[in-house]
Amino acid sequence: MFRPLIPMALVAVAAPLTAHAQPTPAPAPPPAPAAAAAPADDATAPADDAAPPPGDAPEDAAAPDGDAADDDEDLSDIEAALADDAAAAEDARPAPPQGGLAGAAAALNPDLSFIADVAAAWFWGDDPMQTGDHDPQVNGFTLQQVEMSIAKSVDPYFRFDANIVFKDDGAEVEEAYATTLAMPHALQVRAGKFLTRFGRLNATHPHTWDFVDQPLAFGRVFGGEGNRGAGAELSWLTPLPWYTEVLVSVTDPHGEGTARSFLGASDRALDTPLDVQTTAAAHQFFDLNDDWSLLWGLSWATAPNPSGDATRTHVVGADLYVKWRPITRASFQQVALQTEWLLRRRQQPAGTITDLDTYAQLTWRFAQRWGVGGRWEYGGAPAFTGATVVDDLDPDWTEARQRATAQLTFWPTEFSRLRAQASVDRPAWRDPVWATFLSMEFAVGAHGAHKF
Amino acid sequence: MRTPLVLVASLAVVGLIGVAHPRPAHADVKIVATVPDLASIAKEIGGKKVSVTALSLPSQDPHFVDAKPSLVLKLAKADLLIAVGLELEVGWLPSLQTQARNSKIQAGGAGFLDCSTSISVKEAGNTDRAKGDVHPSGNPHYLYDPRRAGKCAKAIADKLAAIDPDNAKTYAAGYAAFAKRLDGARADWEARLAAYKGAPVITYHASWIYLSDWLGLDQVATLEPKPGIPPTPSHVAQVIKTGKAKGAKVVLQEAYYPDKTGKLVAKKLGGAVVSLPGGADVGQGESYVDHMDQLVDKLADALK
Repeated sequence: MFRPLIPMALVAVAAPLTAHAQPTPAPAPPPAPAAAAAPADDATAPADDAAPPPGDAPEDAAAPDGDAADDDEDLSDIEAALADDAAAAEDARPAPPQGGLAGAAAALNPDLSFIADVAAAWFWGDDPMQTGDHDPQVNGFTLQQVEMSIAKSVDPYFRFDANIVFKDDGAEVEEAYATTLAMPHALQVRAGKFLTRFGRLNATHPHTWDFVDQPLAFGRVFGGEGNRGAGAELSWLTPLPWYTEVLVSVTDPHGEGTARSFLGASDRALDTPLDVQTTAAAHQFFDLNDDWSLLWGLSWATAPNPSGDATRTHVVGADLYVKWRPITRASFQQVALQTEWLLRRRQQPAGTITDLDTYAQLTWRFAQRWGVGGRWEYGGAPAFTGATVVDDLDPDWTEARQRATAQLTFWPTEFSRLRAQASVDRPAWRDPVWATFLSMEFAVGAHGAHKF
Repeated sequence: MRTPLVLVASLAVVGLIGVAHPRPAHADVKIVATVPDLASIAKEIGGKKVSVTALSLPSQDPHFVDAKPSLVLKLAKADLLIAVGLELEVGWLPSLQTQARNSKIQAGGAGFLDCSTSISVKEAGNTDRAKGDVHPSGNPHYLYDPRRAGKCAKAIADKLAAIDPDNAKTYAAGYAAFAKRLDGARADWEARLAAYKGAPVITYHASWIYLSDWLGLDQVATLEPKPGIPPTPSHVAQVIKTGKAKGAKVVLQEAYYPDKTGKLVAKKLGGAVVSLPGGADVGQGESYVDHMDQLVDKLADALK
């Protein structure tokens, strides 16, 4: 029943992919790994063993056009040096990659992948309160998203990653950032626009989520798009004998990715450099044994909010992920417990509003292709101090809200996923909403590896 | 927000400039291999000059290793990362490399070796996943062929000599000793299995084509209808039919795959399942040659 939707969407977005896939018969030298020995039985000897045509020398030898040479420099020396370099580069030219597949220019294209999520939903109860922008929100069909991921090394110092999301209402650059690869002292910088690494789920995309919709906690505290913005992040892998990573990021407090707690759509300018959103987090990982893993973290985010002149919001979070996956014997089983707790305090001109939001989920992959999961969510009643008595963001959310969800997943392969999900949402201040989703997900292209 | 950005950016640039930090000559070369077989070969070549860790266990399917943060830690300190390549580790290794913050072991770094660049690859050019979970650059299970493993060992020795030139002679000698041992063992293995050239076999995954290539076995069917797709009843019925027609009796598979279907098929064909660990159990002191020895033993037994 979803068939007509998806191929159309995919064909439309995949067109540039196929264009890239054409092998280019360019004479450019192949970017083969250094010192690769030519296999003895490689019959496809390249025709470009001869000296390259002028102007097509390897990068090292690319001659700076006249403008680079100052008048007082000895041109003949430079030319001699360049000629030597060119000869050296020619000698050092590695063997061509095998099979012709990784051939020359095409291999320089970034790795591209497309992931489509489409869902059918039915709600029982008035006015469902799904908080995620990619959640199914109405009865019937929803194209949740078509995500295009782009990734490639920029040079020996940076890699580039971008996620561009296509929805019915347009395309959006959700993330586009560079990550350093070669900083000393186990430091790493990310710069660009990215999802902040607050907690566990926020920095990830819906196709890695176990459930079809976003947890209420993130929708309520950070908004339907999660917390993200343009900025920079510095992280450090500490020299401790177990994995401990600490990070700090500064990001723009404006925009959709900060809509719920920070400046969001407000056009308030930043008065001081401290008005950026600052996020700090620390994560530790323990291999309890070959089969059991534990990852936990603490996070903190702060930025101004638009309610007053000098009002700020602070969010602190704790996350825990425990996974059992037997790897010392043949098994497809995996069990994972994941929980996050967010405590938010918003300063208002006349007081503060505090709320606690959390979710806990347990998933069990019981066969190669089958898994089930359950999730419990809680969004606490706001607590007010001072003269503040109303939460302008959610004026109706005056009491606790709980939601329970169950899902069943079938993976035809690791590139596709079919899910059935049912939930009951029980806000204490109104009637409950029951929801059922059927969702399909497909991934094509060279999709990159995911973090643990 | 400009100020902090500029600050961080300048810090980044300063960091990049200070990137050169040569390894002290006395320390071991820290080698990390993605699979145990490569770890074993590297250890035999490097001997006391190297310390070696594997990122996966022989009981683990190397296609689906969790990118655990503890593996990031191993890569962060590594001088050399040795990978099988051909997209075998594509689902987990790139993420670990990026997180490791170690310029040496990035693809293209001086301390990265993709062993598949040293061997002749089979089945390259599958770029349509309608054929299953195929590897566009070729079938990555080449370590079951000791001739290719030997070429891979040479590449490891050359790489070690390049990153640690002071001990180049040790690595050359280590390689020579390994090659001699491997060649001797190979002659023995080939002699033992010479009678079975052309013998029909069934495999679970398409991971034995290099072994078949080496020993001249005739791989008549796989239990997976397509790579990565678990066996279906109708396909298994077809495999049994094909097996009977071709006289196949042996089902070959890695121990990390379920063996119920293999046992059923072998029983119908009056043969046996040869179930093997995916690599040498280096934790127990087993070497690549030991692992292959075990393979040949079981295979010779089953083909009798």
